[in-house]
Amino acid sequence: MDKDLRKLLAGYVDGELTDEERTAFEKELQSSAESRAELEEFRKLKEVTSMVRYADLPDEVWESYWQSLYRKLERGIGWILLSVGAILLLGFGLYHGLHDLYIAPQVSIWVKICVTALGGGVIFLLVSFVRERLFAYRRDRYREVMK
Amino acid sequence: MCTDAALVMDIKKGNKKAFGKLVERHKKSAFRMALGLVGNKDDAYDISQEAFMRVYRSAKTYDEAQPFLPWFYTIIANLCRTWLQRRTKQDNRMVSIEEASFLLVTEGTPESKLIAKETVARLREALMQLPFTDREIITLQHFRGMAYDEIAALLNVPRGTVMSRLYYARRKLATLMRQSDG
Repeated sequence: MDKDLRKLLAGYVDGELTDEERTAFEKELQSSAESRAELEEFRKLKEVTSMVRYADLPDEVWESYWQSLYRKLERGIGWILLSVGAILLLGFGLYHGLHDLYIAPQVSIWVKICVTALGGGVIFLLVSFVRERLFAYRRDRYREVMK
Repeated sequence: MCTDAALVMDIKKGNKKAFGKLVERHKKSAFRMALGLVGNKDDAYDISQEAFMRVYRSAKTYDEAQPFLPWFYTIIANLCRTWLQRRTKQDNRMVSIEEASFLLVTEGTPESKLIAKETVARLREALMQLPFTDREIITLQHFRGMAYDEIAALLNVPRGTVMSRLYYARRKLATLMRQSDG
C-alpha cells in the first residue's frame, strides 16, 4: 500500500476526508484486499476504544486541586529561599572559619595541612562523583527509551 | 471571557487570580492528557500540577502571539516523557490495580461489560507498549476525540503528518492487541 493511501485510510476511518479524497480512496479500496482488511481492523479498533473512557478523580480531589497547587508553589518558593540562605551562610562560615584558621599563628602547621587535605579530599570526591554521574548519563543507551 | 494568552500575560505580572482562572479552566484536560500518556492516575495528577507550576514560573518566556494550548501541551508531554524514562529505569515496579484501571468500560449489560473488561485490559496493555509518539496520537484522537486540524495545531505538525502517524500507530496497536489475544 502506498504512503498516500495509508494516510487516506486513517482519515477514512475517522470521517476526516474531503469528498474528493473519499471518492479516490473508495476507488482504491475496491481493488486492494490488503486495504480492506486493514480498514476492517481499524474499525474494530475504533469500536474497542469507543467502549472506554478515562478514569476520573473524585470530586473532592478536583475541589482541592487549586489549594494543593498553591501550597506546592508556596513551598517551592520557601525551599528556594531556604537553600539560598543556607548556601550563603555555609559559604560565609567556611570562609571565615578557614581564614581564621590559616592566619592563626598558634595553630600548628600540621592541623592546617590536615584541614587542607580534608577539604581537598571532599572537593575531589565531589567532582569525581558528579563526573561519574554525568558519564553514566551520557552512556546510558536506554535513556531515550520510552514506553 | 479572557483568553488563555491574556491570562498568561496577567500571570507574567504576578497576578495569582489569573493563574487560578487558568488552572480552573484547564485542570481536567491537563490531567486527562497526562493520564493518556502515563496511564496512572496519581502520576497524571502530579504531572498536571507540575505543568501548571511550570506555566507560572516560565510565564515570562511565553510569546503571546502563539496559542496557549500547544505550549502547555508541550510542557505536559515533556513531563510525561521524563516520568516514563524514569519509570523505565525502575521497571521492576509492580503495577497496582489502581493503575491498571485508568481505562474504564463505559456502558453495556453486566455480561457485555465483563467481556469488554477483558478487551480493555488488553487494550491498556497494548497502549502502554506503544512508543510515546504513537500513544500520544492515539490518545488525542481516540480518547480526547480531537479533530485532525486540532491535533495538527496542538502538535504543530501538518494535517498529513497527523494522518500518517495515526495510520502507523493504529497498525502497531492492532498488532499488539492481536498478539495479546494469543
